[in-house]
Amino acid sequence: MAIRPFTHRFSAGWEAVKQFMYGMTGHEFARHALEMRHELEAVFMVVTLGDLIGVPILPPVYSLRLLPYVVPEVARWKRHMAKRREFWEKEEYDMHGV
Amino acid sequence: MNTLLAVIIGAVTVYLAYTLYARRIDRNVIQSDPKRATPATLYMDGVDFMPTNRNILFGYHFKSIAAAGPIVGAIVAASLWGWLPSIIWLVLGVSFIGWASDYSAIVISVRNEGNSLSAIAHRLVSSRTRTVLLLFIFFYLLLVTGAFVMIMAQVMDSQPRTHLGIILLVAMGLLLGQMLYRWKVGLVGATLLTVGVTLVAIMSGPWSEPAFQGLNNWLNGLTGGAPLVTYFDPTLAGFKGAEAKIMPSLLFWAIAISVFCYAGSVLPIWRMAQPVVYVGFWITALSMVLGLGGAAVASFVKPEVAQFQIPAFKGFNPQLGPAGIMPLWPMLFVTIACGAISGWHALFGAVGTARQIENEADMLPVGGGSMFTEFLLGLLALLAVSVGAKGAPVGAFATGLGGFISVWGVPVQYAVSLAFAAFIVIVLVVTQLIFRVMRITLTEWLGDVIPPCRNQHVSSIVCVLLALLLVVTGTWVYLWQLFGGANQLMAALSLLLVTVWLASVGKNWLYAGLPTIFMYVTTVASLLVTAYNLYFNVYQPNREAGRMLPMVGSGLMVLVALLLVVAAVFIGIDGWRAFMKYLRRPTPAPKAAAARG
Repeated sequence: MAIRPFTHRFSAGWEAVKQFMYGMTGHEFARHALEMRHELEAVFMVVTLGDLIGVPILPPVYSLRLLPYVVPEVARWKRHMAKRREFWEKEEYDMHGV
Repeated sequence: MNTLLAVIIGAVTVYLAYTLYARRIDRNVIQSDPKRATPATLYMDGVDFMPTNRNILFGYHFKSIAAAGPIVGAIVAASLWGWLPSIIWLVLGVSFIGWASDYSAIVISVRNEGNSLSAIAHRLVSSRTRTVLLLFIFFYLLLVTGAFVMIMAQVMDSQPRTHLGIILLVAMGLLLGQMLYRWKVGLVGATLLTVGVTLVAIMSGPWSEPAFQGLNNWLNGLTGGAPLVTYFDPTLAGFKGAEAKIMPSLLFWAIAISVFCYAGSVLPIWRMAQPVVYVGFWITALSMVLGLGGAAVASFVKPEVAQFQIPAFKGFNPQLGPAGIMPLWPMLFVTIACGAISGWHALFGAVGTARQIENEADMLPVGGGSMFTEFLLGLLALLAVSVGAKGAPVGAFATGLGGFISVWGVPVQYAVSLAFAAFIVIVLVVTQLIFRVMRITLTEWLGDVIPPCRNQHVSSIVCVLLALLLVVTGTWVYLWQLFGGANQLMAALSLLLVTVWLASVGKNWLYAGLPTIFMYVTTVASLLVTAYNLYFNVYQPNREAGRMLPMVGSGLMVLVALLLVVAAVFIGIDGWRAFMKYLRRPTPAPKAAAARG
């Protein structure tokens, strides 16, 4: 019985170390991959639903046909576009330790 | 003094400062509440705003703030004032100022909907803060690129054993980017291949040394051994000052580094900058872990590499050049920046990390914890340079770190080769990123007024040429101290912002306010001292000798120093007004009390 808390604590500690290592290594790649996907999706959203931010590109009939596929992303996309105000709020400002 | 005692001092500092001070501030002043929604959960967009596990975020934030800064600062400070003042400032700085700055920047962003410091400053202090911040950032970056390119070129010119490793690092970085993003290879396999090849190339540095020494000799033979540029450098000849010569081989390596940085600046970030940083991270992390472990056990296993070789204290005002002054206050406090406190940490923490905080209880372990870990990195650099042989500061650092690594059975010459390479790698990977950010900043700043600056190639070339101008001016110690002044001034600005915010919400502002006053006064004084030194120690001798290029470079640096002082005065006045405005305002009643009322 006394061993169990020790093994639990050890496995929790080991998990924390693994997460820390992932944070130092893979997390940045994962974030950048998300960023790249987002940029592509943003282009798609502007093309299909540009009217929402005052940039009409596709005739409304095509926008309406694409609408069901885009609906889940609309709120998140608008929030992201509205939040990004300063140019340095970008991944590229990740300076890695100056 | 030996390294084991210093490591124990470091560990005790971290434990006491974190448990007795940082936690108390987090609990009593900030009152972090795990039940309060954070911007990451409120505004989750899958990209910037993303709730992230605290351990992952700790690793991410630490890696993002830790690199060349804490290492170079400790090396310079130890060689100017000795190890004792340096270690005292590291301990006191991180305990009372450094963690508070990093942690508070995250807090203020989390409590203000994930906004950046400039957006919060715009709201709380004044509307011109953004312009001042841009000015700060650009000159800060210019200074650090000048200092870093110069340091790297000098090390690469004098240490041909490092060349093969650095060339392979760049090649492996490019390969890694291709493997991960195009060929979709798994991260573990790609890491093993690229880091393994780079490590082998670095370790075989002594084997490839004669070939690269031959290249240097051939380059220098092109001018018959005559220098390309000569200038007066007050940091030479044991800080008494002497003629410095820029030989063709030094210029070649400075240009090679600049070309590499230019490529890192204009290529997509996934193609070069990010994977090179990643491969470099493993090399430096390996060296640092082996080094810190070696420093801890060296007293038992290999006592000869654990004894301090440099004096504990070299004086309050060491001689640096014929007319220079280098008073311990304020210069020590800007020379050691990142290991004790850094403004860039705050800027990054507010936008990069704060938006991933899942729970307010994570703010202290992530922000404060990362800063305390960075302090250990600065301490390791200080130990390495303190036990290293006499000579140039970087050489002493590499010798010391190599000694620590050799404790694990690695032959000394290979361990020193790894230490030299680790130093160059950590500086090189940061420099390419700095050029990238500098290019973007220049575009943002001058793009509307000078349209060609919007072109990434034009803006990158302008940045590279400006940095090269500073390189041929020489005197990297002053460049570093100017950079430290700009960096610490940014830290003072972020602490000022935190103080104003604390006053605006009716909280006790002393834990941020007192460090703000200290950092503000210290950094303004340091900028004035550096401007004085640059004028009388570099500009005057070069003017008397009729050397135009060093004269222009040092004159430019004097102007930058004075410009930063003017910007600091503006910030100080605006910050003081805002602070007094909120202080005189009646304290808002707590919500619960208001509800009961």
